[in-house]
Amino acid sequence: MTPFPAAPESRLIGRVTRCSIQGFVGGIRMTEPDMPAFGALCRAPAQGGRSQVIGLIYEISIEDDDLARQLAASDVPQEEVRLDQQFVRPIPIEIRALSVGFHDGDGYLYDLPPQPPNTLADIFNLPPSEVRQFTASLAFLPLVLAAPQLPTDSLLAATFRLAAQARPESERRAFLVSAGRECARLLSGDLGRVNNLVRSLQGQHGS
Amino acid sequence: MSLDLRQVLPQVESLGQEAARRAAAASIRLPRLAQLLLDAARLDRSELEHRLAAAPATAHPAWPTDEAIDASFPLPAHPPRLRLLAADGSQVYPDRHAAAFFYMVNIGSIDLLQGSGRPPQTATHSNLHFDDEDLRDTRGLPVDTHLINARRDAAELKELARLVEGPVLSEVEGPVLSEVEGPTLALLDNGLLLWAASQEQKAARPDVQRVLDEYLAALDVLRDSGAALAGYISRPRGANVVDLVEAAAAEAGGTPPRLTDRLLFGRHLQAHMRSARFRHPARINDEFAARGHEIQFFYLHTGAQDGIARVEIPHWVAADAARMAMVHAGIVEQCRLTGVPYPLVRAHELALVGQDDRRALDGLVQAALIRHGISGLASQKAQTKRWTGRRRRHQL
Repeated sequence: MTPFPAAPESRLIGRVTRCSIQGFVGGIRMTEPDMPAFGALCRAPAQGGRSQVIGLIYEISIEDDDLARQLAASDVPQEEVRLDQQFVRPIPIEIRALSVGFHDGDGYLYDLPPQPPNTLADIFNLPPSEVRQFTASLAFLPLVLAAPQLPTDSLLAATFRLAAQARPESERRAFLVSAGRECARLLSGDLGRVNNLVRSLQGQHGS
Repeated sequence: MSLDLRQVLPQVESLGQEAARRAAAASIRLPRLAQLLLDAARLDRSELEHRLAAAPATAHPAWPTDEAIDASFPLPAHPPRLRLLAADGSQVYPDRHAAAFFYMVNIGSIDLLQGSGRPPQTATHSNLHFDDEDLRDTRGLPVDTHLINARRDAAELKELARLVEGPVLSEVEGPVLSEVEGPTLALLDNGLLLWAASQEQKAARPDVQRVLDEYLAALDVLRDSGAALAGYISRPRGANVVDLVEAAAAEAGGTPPRLTDRLLFGRHLQAHMRSARFRHPARINDEFAARGHEIQFFYLHTGAQDGIARVEIPHWVAADAARMAMVHAGIVEQCRLTGVPYPLVRAHELALVGQDDRRALDGLVQAALIRHGISGLASQKAQTKRWTGRRRRHQL
């Protein structure tokens, strides 16, 4: 077994606070420009570092903060103070991710992980190179479509958009067409959702 | 929980009763004291100084300046643009039970250009001190907390001096500071006299003197930059003006209860007004004065919940009407949002070394020791404290 390759462009986006086989929640203080995006992929170590759980971020929330609450309740804050709070001061952020696969040291497996990440495990974003590798197969889609009470269609559209952006310009359209086809196949019994998803994907191309 | 609240409860009740008794006594004494302030203001200056000189050694009366001691000053206009600098510090004291003997000083600062429409710049400077020179004082004794505090205070002021001296560019693309600069107000979350050096027996120590020299040199830089400098003391407990009016009335030492300047000026000042300036009575102020940085102070009704703050300023701010107006208007404006000046709130946040930071630092130190073949273990006592003190395993 080879250790999980550490991409130099990985960025810490949270530490696990709650977790299960199906997903994990992480928190951190960071500035707005560093916040991850809805639909982005991330990873967190599990099994003592022998595996990496791949998560799909489906929720990002800014947690309650005493200073921010005080400022919100005061008179209209000065512009520079508002900018300080929004772009300079790290704010407490919580992200929620759905487990969509794991890396066992040899390669990606598109299934639920054997164990969840441990509490306080570092959560890193998946850099473009790893996004391309992970989304080379769309075998993770059933795990997303089966997740209850998630905005699945919007989530998949965002994921496809980010995965397409991680690819060279010349490969993006082909990737989106392939992703759309796979969704149509998996959702063949639900034409309404297929339509929604295809419309979202078409919208990303501006057509 | 190891605290037996049943044992403490009657003591807490007594505490409440004592506080109520003191407040009642203060409310009786306060009008008298306010009258004494007005009476003292009517004394001939030489007579007032004569009475102050005769005050008992236990009193520390403030010294009047060129302003009438009962004067109050309305809020001046705020400049359309004001550059606000603030610095604050925190420290990790040496721990003989830790894996290694060291201390750390952490300085946070903010540079906010009010009126520029641009985000402020922030900085944090963390310095680990582990050399023999840092860990032993000039007597060869382990460094004490007073000296570490003095070095931290000097580092805070040097950070302000660095900010006023250095070229500043916004992180956001745009014009350089010179195109948007206005007057500059630099703030410290403390008094301006170096506390460790103000203790007479310590001032003679070469290591304290060295810190004092660095501190005074930073004051030189700030003065020459044209900036205004102020030390902001929230909820002050000083009684130098109370001592002044009691000495002027030959009531020095006062009848109990001893009141504070904050209570006196809470009655005397309307919202957003400041008191007269007074000369700080600490003996170390003579050395500051000899170097051109005599420290004065005034009380300011910030308009916020805590009301009265004490603001300390060097003489070169006091003597400059424009810089004084900047201090007065700038602090009141910054208190509108957070009760104390917003830049100080942020500088404190940037400087603070929390328990999680401390644990992470200890982990790094232990790892470094082990890498170099040295046992990275804390003492057995520290280990047992960790076992018994950690009630929550996971805290972000």
